Amino acid sequence: MSFMPRHILEERIGDFGRPVHADHLTVLRRPAIASVLAGGPVEALSGMAEVSLRPVGPGQWLAVSQSLPGSLLAESLAAALAGLGAHVVDQSDGFVLMHIAGPNVRRILAKCIAVDLHGDVFAIGQAAAMMCCHVAANVARVGADAFEIAVPRSYADDVFEEIVEMGREFSLTSAFDDA
Amino acid sequence: MSAFRLSHGGLVDRSRGIGFRFDGDDLRGYEGDTLASALLASDRLLVGRSFKYHRPRGIVTAGSAEPNALLTIGTGARSEANTRATVQELYDGLVAKSQNRWPSLKHDFGAINGLLSPFLGAGFYYKTFMWPAAFWEKVYEPMIRRAAGLGRAVMEADPDRYEKAWAHCDLLVIGAGPAGLMAALTAARAGARVILADEGFRLGGSLLSERVSIGNAAAADFVRDVLQELASLDTVTLMPRTTVFGWYDDNVFGAVEKVQKHLASPSPDLPVERLWRIAAKAAILASGAEERPLVFGGNDRPGVMMASAARTYLNRFGVGAGRKVAVFTNGGSGYQAARDLASQGAEIAAIIDGRASAGEAMPAGTRMIVNAGVTKTLGRHRIEGLVVERSGHEETIDCDALLMSGGWSPVIHLACQRGAKPVWSEELQAFVAPDVGPRLWLAGSAAGLSGIGDCLRDGSAKALDCLAALGKPGSAPEMPEVEGEYDAGFAPLWYVPGARDKAFVDFQNDVHVRDLSLAQREGFGHIEHTKRYTTLGMATDQGKLGNVNTVGIVAGMRGVSPAEIGTTTFRPFYTPVSFGAMAGTARAERARPTRTSPLHGWAKKNGAQFVDAGLWFRSAWFPQSGEKGWRQSVDREVLAVRANVGLCDVSTLGKIEVFGRDAAEFLNRVYSNAMLKLPVGRARYGLMLREDGMVYDDGTVSRFAEDHFLITTTTAYATEAMAHLEFCAQALWPNLDVRFVSVSDQWAQMSLVGPKARLVLEKIVEDDVSNAAFPFLAARAVTLKGGLKARLFRISFSGELAYELAVPANYGEAVADVLMEAGRPHDICPYGVEALNVMRIEKGHVTHAEIDGRTTPDDLGLGKMFAASKPDFIGKRLSSRFGLTAADRLQLVGLRPVDKAKELTAGAHLLKEGAKPSMANDQGHVTSVCFSPVLGRSIGLALLKSGRERYGEKIVVWDKLRGHDEIVAEVCSPVFVDPENSKLHQ
Amino acid sequence: MASLIPCPHCGLRPKEEFSIRGDASPVRPAPTASDESWHRYVHIRDNPKGRIVEHWHHALGCRRWLVVERDNLSHEVFGVTDAADWAKRKEA
Repeated sequence: MSFMPRHILEERIGDFGRPVHADHLTVLRRPAIASVLAGGPVEALSGMAEVSLRPVGPGQWLAVSQSLPGSLLAESLAAALAGLGAHVVDQSDGFVLMHIAGPNVRRILAKCIAVDLHGDVFAIGQAAAMMCCHVAANVARVGADAFEIAVPRSYADDVFEEIVEMGREFSLTSAFDDA
Repeated sequence: MSAFRLSHGGLVDRSRGIGFRFDGDDLRGYEGDTLASALLASDRLLVGRSFKYHRPRGIVTAGSAEPNALLTIGTGARSEANTRATVQELYDGLVAKSQNRWPSLKHDFGAINGLLSPFLGAGFYYKTFMWPAAFWEKVYEPMIRRAAGLGRAVMEADPDRYEKAWAHCDLLVIGAGPAGLMAALTAARAGARVILADEGFRLGGSLLSERVSIGNAAAADFVRDVLQELASLDTVTLMPRTTVFGWYDDNVFGAVEKVQKHLASPSPDLPVERLWRIAAKAAILASGAEERPLVFGGNDRPGVMMASAARTYLNRFGVGAGRKVAVFTNGGSGYQAARDLASQGAEIAAIIDGRASAGEAMPAGTRMIVNAGVTKTLGRHRIEGLVVERSGHEETIDCDALLMSGGWSPVIHLACQRGAKPVWSEELQAFVAPDVGPRLWLAGSAAGLSGIGDCLRDGSAKALDCLAALGKPGSAPEMPEVEGEYDAGFAPLWYVPGARDKAFVDFQNDVHVRDLSLAQREGFGHIEHTKRYTTLGMATDQGKLGNVNTVGIVAGMRGVSPAEIGTTTFRPFYTPVSFGAMAGTARAERARPTRTSPLHGWAKKNGAQFVDAGLWFRSAWFPQSGEKGWRQSVDREVLAVRANVGLCDVSTLGKIEVFGRDAAEFLNRVYSNAMLKLPVGRARYGLMLREDGMVYDDGTVSRFAEDHFLITTTTAYATEAMAHLEFCAQALWPNLDVRFVSVSDQWAQMSLVGPKARLVLEKIVEDDVSNAAFPFLAARAVTLKGGLKARLFRISFSGELAYELAVPANYGEAVADVLMEAGRPHDICPYGVEALNVMRIEKGHVTHAEIDGRTTPDDLGLGKMFAASKPDFIGKRLSSRFGLTAADRLQLVGLRPVDKAKELTAGAHLLKEGAKPSMANDQGHVTSVCFSPVLGRSIGLALLKSGRERYGEKIVVWDKLRGHDEIVAEVCSPVFVDPENSKLHQ
Repeated sequence: MASLIPCPHCGLRPKEEFSIRGDASPVRPAPTASDESWHRYVHIRDNPKGRIVEHWHHALGCRRWLVVERDNLSHEVFGVTDAADWAKRKEA
């Protein structure tokens, strides 16, 4: 018996051959995401390649990997943290990860996010939990003009629609990463 | 003809003509015009009728303080009432209509109010329409509303888009006049992140209206050069058409940007307006100064205009306000206007100065009348002359325009919006802003300066102060030489005596001097009372022109200094902001975020009808063809589930993982029942209380490991319950080792319910799910055939054999499809929350209809879940207080109508038979009702006084407020179906 | 329309990210404490003007409960502490 996963945005952006403009939103189809809970710092994870550790709050992170399968990420994190009193929860299905990039990305996100995303304040590699389109999100700067936004799956349709709407003035396009 | 367009000069582009329409007439203007300048250039002096007396009114200002020239712009759904023509950018195809007139602007029936005016003074409505009381709503108010007023709102939906955005900067400069430009330049050169915002569509502020030269260049060229430099820096954001309307906590400013209000057909990809919240480390308010009108008889006649406005129309728009212009002034501004107009060929009829003498330079041959005042203006729809009075001698002077200047008031609104009171300055004869702290500075004429050179220097100096406070070194740019300045000094003249017509203080709300004296006489002397009694300053212009004069006049009446009178309170918004901008995209179905269940697609393709449940859409029922109405579908679903098997989406329940050495201890403290000894692999129903002893929420607790639990909450309380747990862990018991993470979105969860549920489940679960291997309340990870990891819980809300199966959300739809397929031989039935609700009522389970914040565990028949032996848990201590243990508390019971055909209603009250319906006789109320297809009758749950002792009693169900007949029902146990719980364990 | 709260974990954030519970000064009494002290803890709140301490939940950020010390008249924020640290300090 095999079950096919279905992305929540499938219906909205499922079609192939969509245009890609300078300002573009990519929805990652199967990223691995896990919540990491720990009492203290998680240096044990610093050596893990292919895993980006994004702070949520004190003692809590969102681990994101675009190469490891979902359950494997959680398992390898748990293994790395074994004995440290840390807990790992697979959230690969709990979040939708969007990558948005382009010359106008900050002007688009200024309409979605209240936090100052200027490079001097929110540098490349930085991430934080913050409100995005009224929803609790985790936002990471992955490039000078590139951000990744993780939002809870049930809100993703709504957030996606709002970001696309806010991108209209810059002809923002959107597609899955494998489209 | 009086007002006219000059053949040259100004900042309009005469090569680009623009056609527009005013009250049905086709008119023309130029690119760079405002609607007001184009109307004036077309000699349209009469543009509106006043609010109360319907007096003819014309354009008074050239800016955002305009009280008179309020027009309805646009057509159909895009028509916008009360738009100030003085700030409306002209565009091709603009359609403008005057307001508050019938049948036409020139022949307005309402003008009869002017004749009735002796009766229409301040407080007239309050005094007159007192009785009969019933008349107020039906007769008086509609009548007054029709007669008085502004434009009409359209009833069609707004077709345009609006947006909201945040901006962040080191320095926000408000106003792009001389001070603002210099402040922005100084800060920008120091590398600061600067935002320069101005309400005008062209940056430059008052410099665009001046004939001075700055650094040997025309003022407009100086502006252009500064803007070019600013625009070249990527640390600078220029925001024209952006009104900063409010100063809020923590130096956040509210601003509205008119993105496309100057276009006939706005692009659908852009908003028409954008609401900004600008978080500024520091800000400079360079909003300039407002010229004050003079208060004299007939000062509202079309053609009477502020002197500075006439200069703006002349110098910026190339429009002469008249050919034979009279000036009434108490300071330098009037003389400068006369000089400017004379230089463009206008005849100056006379300069009337309220002061005893003036040392002003005058155009050659101009007649000057000092120590004099205008008492009356002549003409009807436009000024034709004036009557001037000097030492008791009156003289009539012909003119086609009258320019007035009563001195200057710094525009300090923003600085005083957060509680600071304006301070009277004897020296400036104006209110100025007090020190409002280190994050907002006033510069230029907003700070009381008047010369352009002074304003340029002040802007730069204040920017340096800000930079120093931000720890950024800066240096002042070289100050250019300014030539051609005039002295704007004035002597106060609050009110011109001897008025022979109404002397208006507040043009827009038709408040004149006699209203002010009436307010004083009738005891409304405090300035805040005067305002409300006379409605002065309460129009859409918020008294920008009239308020300071009012204070001066009231001070004069009382014989005190304006300092003693003070001002009314300054509040946002500085100018009106549309509801569209305030709402942004949050309109209609996007008014709040919506949440989509992972099984939404499954429900949709099975034909679900959806219902709003908080932010969710939940499947309510699944109609089949031929079914007439929801009840028929729900009855079928209930019977199918109880006979065979059904599948329901329960993904919306809150799901929280709880970890930590002290997780069990923690849960033991937040649930009222015992949790410490819950075995691994088992689930338990859990009840959370509030600290006051009332039930807060219910759900299940499952233990996966010694230090790992999963708890569920109701859909409604998912968010709050999570915050509650976090509060308990962080603020109450920070020493417990416990951590949470919500996994509500990670799992799709479905209920598989009914006697044949196991037969279906077996087909897709790898693990042994036999009754022995997976008994009632088992809870553990399982593997689906093919390898998908899942979680299985044997819990039941319906009283049937039931499982909840959780799979990763992206697989939810696929798994539900397979379950449907596997269940087909067993007639599996998808069911929704309505059937779920029927089954829980049949089984006597409570939801938030019963957990209403006033019920204790015992009230709900859940007394066993109150573990009194535990030393402490949330809600324990206050559960024993008086009242919560009283014998006559409302207790959960079942109800069934004695007449099987009758239907109960939720919310109905309960009365003893024969008792009169009254609060004193109230025995309780019905909380939940349904038609039970199993029993073939209406049943209900109710909260009834001492209910559990009253099984068998007949009680009256009273719901007459909603028009239902009384029903007699029998009180019974709330468990209608399978009271022995035999089905659960099968 | 706006105000910014300096979250000790996340930095300056708009108030929309937070929800406010109320006065942070009442301390949960011991289970054995008197009826009166429990009654006061659950039902009685002072309504002071000026400097106050409040529990704020950074619901759309780090999900920590915070103690915000601020002036309810001027809205000036004097300091923000993690509620756990605050509770532990109070206990000590």
